[in-house]
Amino acid sequence: MFQLPTVQFTEEQEAFRLEVRGFLHEHIKRGTFTPKCDSWLSGVNPSFSKLIGEQGWIGMTWPKKYGGQERSTIDRYILTEEFLASGAPVAAHWFADRQTGPLLLRYGTEEQKQFFLPKIARGECYFAIGLSEPNSGSDLASVRTRAEKVEGGWIVNGQKIWTSNAHVCHYMVTLVRTSPFDGKNKHAGLSQLIIDLHAKGVTIVPIRFLTGEHHFNEVFFENVFVSDNMVVGQIGNGWEQGLAELAFERSGPERILSTFLLLDELIQELKRQGNKEGLKQATKLLSRLWSLRNLSIGVAKLLESGDAKDVAIPASLVKAFGTKFEQSIPEIARLLVETYPKLDAERKFDRYMAQSILHAPGFTIRGGTTEILYGMVAKGVVAK
Amino acid sequence: MSEMKDMILDVAERMLKDYITKDVVDILEKGDWAKDAWNLFQDNGIISVAIPEEHGGAGGDLEDLLNLVRLTGKYAAPIPFAETTLANFLLETSNLTTVDKIATYSLQEGFILQNDQVSGTLHNVPWARHAKYLVAFVKSNQGVQLALIDLADATIQSSTNMASEPRDTVTMSDAKAQLSPVLSEEQIFYARSIETAFKIALMTGAIEKINELSVQYTKEREQFGRPIHRFQLVQHQIVQLAGETAIAIAAFNNVCAAIQSKNLLHEIAYARIRFEDAIATVTSVSHQLHAAIGMTHEYALHQYTRRLWAWRDEGPNSDYWSEHIANYLLNHDDKLWAYLTKTLENS
Ligand SMILES: Cc1cc2nc3c(=O)[nH]c(=O)nc-3n(C[C@H](O)[C@H](O)[C@H](O)COP(=O)(O)OP(=O)(O)OC[C@H]3O[C@@H](n4cnc5c(N)ncnc54)[C@H](O)[C@@H]3O)c2cc1C
Repeated sequence: MFQLPTVQFTEEQEAFRLEVRGFLHEHIKRGTFTPKCDSWLSGVNPSFSKLIGEQGWIGMTWPKKYGGQERSTIDRYILTEEFLASGAPVAAHWFADRQTGPLLLRYGTEEQKQFFLPKIARGECYFAIGLSEPNSGSDLASVRTRAEKVEGGWIVNGQKIWTSNAHVCHYMVTLVRTSPFDGKNKHAGLSQLIIDLHAKGVTIVPIRFLTGEHHFNEVFFENVFVSDNMVVGQIGNGWEQGLAELAFERSGPERILSTFLLLDELIQELKRQGNKEGLKQATKLLSRLWSLRNLSIGVAKLLESGDAKDVAIPASLVKAFGTKFEQSIPEIARLLVETYPKLDAERKFDRYMAQSILHAPGFTIRGGTTEILYGMVAKGVVAK
Repeated sequence: MSEMKDMILDVAERMLKDYITKDVVDILEKGDWAKDAWNLFQDNGIISVAIPEEHGGAGGDLEDLLNLVRLTGKYAAPIPFAETTLANFLLETSNLTTVDKIATYSLQEGFILQNDQVSGTLHNVPWARHAKYLVAFVKSNQGVQLALIDLADATIQSSTNMASEPRDTVTMSDAKAQLSPVLSEEQIFYARSIETAFKIALMTGAIEKINELSVQYTKEREQFGRPIHRFQLVQHQIVQLAGETAIAIAAFNNVCAAIQSKNLLHEIAYARIRFEDAIATVTSVSHQLHAAIGMTHEYALHQYTRRLWAWRDEGPNSDYWSEHIANYLLNHDDKLWAYLTKTLENS
């Protein structure tokens, strides 16, 4: 259950890594973006997303006929790592690239694939994730937003909450009840609908993040009409379809590297100061990063080989342990290098420190809390 | 990784399963050891894996050997397997003739070479009392050399580590030895790295076993009318073990995968540093899950936790490797990410 493949990158993959890195450094130099911690989720920059799309770096594993490049999962892994290590603002297209594309490739109709995938790959079409509701967080199967069948489609009523970047997204894959809640089988009767966020009856209300930033939203639905061709997969199969996405969602490098910029600055500061004792302490962080990365790449390789059966446990472990690691970096770094954290600080270390501290609590919540992941892993381990 | 790997690992694991029961591990405490298992290993050529066939070995490579060492860690096998095979590996890489009897090693300071004769005292030499040969670093005005020493010429005082494994004091005076040429800094460092890799292999095996024992126990032990794994706080402990086990195995596999690469030293360093976390968590959590029974001699858990506690302070420890990495970082200008991706990718 814990045996994962190891990965040796090929020369082409090394070259690709350097190509992406060079591209990002060039754009940092030109001022296209300023690196920030946690920018995979909070760094929204549509014109940068279009630039990435032009490079062929969105949906790069997808079939060419849908705008993809038919590159490997490992290539995509490398690309993602480079985005994270440079603090690039890739949030606008993130969910569409990571989740919606694979979801549609697996369950979508030909029409949906042809309509959405090329636009996503160009960096022009963004998707939000519509799962959580005010009374349904961890207990996701209890969602109440409902869709009722009408001629030619569905009428949706209800509300989603904590929807990251809904205010810049075009669509939302929305988990809704299509038949009444059944206490005996609470996972039945759920379906996934693609809702146009500009449709009549959709209202998006900002919720200010603790920093005051506009990151997430409440999304209200009042008699929103969704036509039949916007149903993803089977009606009633929404829970299973959603689960299939999770291994990808949970095990990526974004569960390890959200505060990498701070770690980078920590090492640089310690080197500048010639602080060997501090560097020795910091090697613990590097060893944790090294070992988590082994796991995460191992899971990516396993997913690529299609061997998804045994992947759920290690994928959840990557998220549970990885997010705790990225959360711990500011706590440890501030004891090694003196800092006065400020979002507008001149010194990068202080700035990244402030960004990390203020975003860190969310790492172990978004995408399923650590507690929920622990429960899943424990049950999986005991069942073996 | 050679083709023989799977087969030989299967054979070895079957033998260990059959021969190394809880009671057999215990006999170490009476000063005895598992000679039957050793003879079987010897008869099947397992102790000469990674020695080339033209030198009388069984062939296979270092990765095969490390995987065998991991298995002996998983069964806490009371045989001088890691010791003999590491001694031979060191001999082989120094172009000295390998040996086919029990051998042990010590890469600590303590032996002096004068007029080609070895004198001095080494402490905590594993299995010395049972071994025929000792492979050790010896120091002279010229530098450090590797010596193959016949222990018949030594005075040996028995002692043990916290896990009751033999860790003896060896004293020599003007003893003969076969000597390698003077070793370069690089060669010395390489030997210490491989010593560390052997420890990583042993620790990985022990961690796997502790995880197995603990999960099993939470399924069997009932309190408040149900198996304890049903309690959420217990589940969280199970996850700590699962995470550390997954991390340890992946670390070990990545070290193996890097054997041929020039980044091997970094991989070993990071694995070894990371094992400090793993050992601290795995030992404390597994004992907590077992509660009182885990504190008894009767139950097997201590055979693995005591070994981890002992092994982590033997040979180059995590501080040694942190120092190495800290020095590297101080003396190199590469950006952290470039350094890490190079290190981790074995490019
Ligand atoms: C930055 C950020 C971005 C987000 N973006 C999105 C998004 O785009 N789309 C979206 O749909 N959602 C999003 N979320 C919401 C996120 O998915 C939920 O916050 C999460 O699922 C937890 O739900 P909750 O906040 O209602 O907490 P609750 O479920 O109420 O949990 C509260 C506490 O109780 C614990 N708990 C609950 N149940 C159990 C249990 N069975 N056992 C043990 N402990 C339990 C939890 O672990 C937690 O510690 C985002 C959240 C954050 C922080």
